[in-house]
Amino acid sequence: MGKVKIKRKSTLIDMTAMSDVTVLLLTFFMLTSTFLQKEPTIVYTPSSVSEEKVPMNNLVTVLVSSADKSGKYEDPSVLEGKLFISFTGDADSTLSSEKIRLMMLDEAVSLYNEKHKSNPVQLTPQQRATFGTINMFGVPFSVLPEMLSMSITDRDKFLGDLANPNVGIPIDDNTDSKGNLNDFQVWLQAIYNVAQRINKEQTEGLTPEERQQMSNLYTALMRKGQGIAIKADKDTPFTTVHRVFDNLQTMKLNKFSLMTALKSEDEPTK
Amino acid sequence: MAQIEQSDKGGKKKKGAQKKMSIHVDFTPMVDMNMLLITFFMLCTTMIKSQTLQIVLPTNEEVKKENQNQAKASEALTMILDTEYEGDKPKIDAETGKTIHNIYYYEGIADTLFQTSKYLQKEQFIGNQNRQPQGIRKILRGKNEAVMEEYVKLKEQWKNKEITKEEFDRLAKKNASDSNKVRPVVVIKPGPNTTYEGLINAIDEMNINQISRYSIELPTATDTLLLKHFEQATGETIIRPTIRKKK
Repeated sequence: MGKVKIKRKSTLIDMTAMSDVTVLLLTFFMLTSTFLQKEPTIVYTPSSVSEEKVPMNNLVTVLVSSADKSGKYEDPSVLEGKLFISFTGDADSTLSSEKIRLMMLDEAVSLYNEKHKSNPVQLTPQQRATFGTINMFGVPFSVLPEMLSMSITDRDKFLGDLANPNVGIPIDDNTDSKGNLNDFQVWLQAIYNVAQRINKEQTEGLTPEERQQMSNLYTALMRKGQGIAIKADKDTPFTTVHRVFDNLQTMKLNKFSLMTALKSEDEPTK
Repeated sequence: MAQIEQSDKGGKKKKGAQKKMSIHVDFTPMVDMNMLLITFFMLCTTMIKSQTLQIVLPTNEEVKKENQNQAKASEALTMILDTEYEGDKPKIDAETGKTIHNIYYYEGIADTLFQTSKYLQKEQFIGNQNRQPQGIRKILRGKNEAVMEEYVKLKEQWKNKEITKEEFDRLAKKNASDSNKVRPVVVIKPGPNTTYEGLINAIDEMNINQISRYSIELPTATDTLLLKHFEQATGETIIRPTIRKKK
């Protein structure tokens, strides 16, 4: 009888194919991805059948925070209705241009200081430079210098704490546009002024591309209603959102977009 | 990682014969790393871009009474929106998992409504069932029949590729604002407890039903009276304390 030889099989598995697949997937994700923007609070937008995409650029997003859902606070509405403005919209947006954002900051600060001569906001060059790099902000003008001096982690922590009365752009006291503007209106006015000025080519030091993009923003703001998008949670009461509408109406920016998710017409709404 | 194996099959070797080498590279760590990267990208990306819904509101400037266009009573439809609450959170339908929004609507002008027996009617956003409009959508479609008929035809043409998307959009827009057709004027009045979703649903219905003339207003005292009347007639409680006080 011959010996039965047990053949030793190697346990090595050829991973080359697997590696190929993963690299392909990786390439796909890298090419198709746009990064999530850092936002101080998460909102779930309601859905609509509108198929209009959010314009990649020329967009100022106004984020309206929603009430607390974790049950951490006794009064969940403490966190509700705080406003944040983002100039960037998307990562590759034109408004991410640092130069233009700084122009808006300068305009907004000078508008604010005109109205509040007794305690004007003074920004150091460093603080100004920091503003060019941040995405979303939401503080009253009086807290702006303080926020801009914080380190990145501190700032995120600060903006994330919505219960803090110093977080959120003040929107109360909606007066007519001739009277005192509230902080939210000052920002809107600044955006509008800068867009208009660049549209009329009264600024220097901009590349033709930047100029074109800003003139697009101007058209988008005034005609198409694509310049400003409001992003609010679906459970936010209308009264809270209405305050934002009301302010925009006062500023005569009465055409704007509401951010929604997509749903089909046949999908039951109820 | 990588190993070079000597194949020593056959046992007997000829002298001077070249040793056969086969190279194995272990790709497992490479795969591990790739998987990590994929996970990172998957978590950090937004695949679906948000959509936008565009609205145009009037400015806050005072409009003189005589300059205001009064809608004809036969064309007017007013929708008072309300969202049901459970405690301080919107009430969720156990079956569908969606928030319950009620619509109290009336046709015509509120002042003349008291003289007739027709008061408010209650509807909900139901959407389509078996491709047939239900709930408020059915009512709105009925009001905008003339425009919708043409719209369905246009859509058919577009689906059959007789016209391009751009043409379809243009024609649909023209059709929706065709003043020769009987078109409704809808006033959306979100009550104090309405959530943002309720408002979006209402605007959405306008888009679905191709209603070009609509406005968003706050409910008036007359509307409250009508709601009170509806409460008495049906025994339902509609007017509840406002959940969120205006800060």
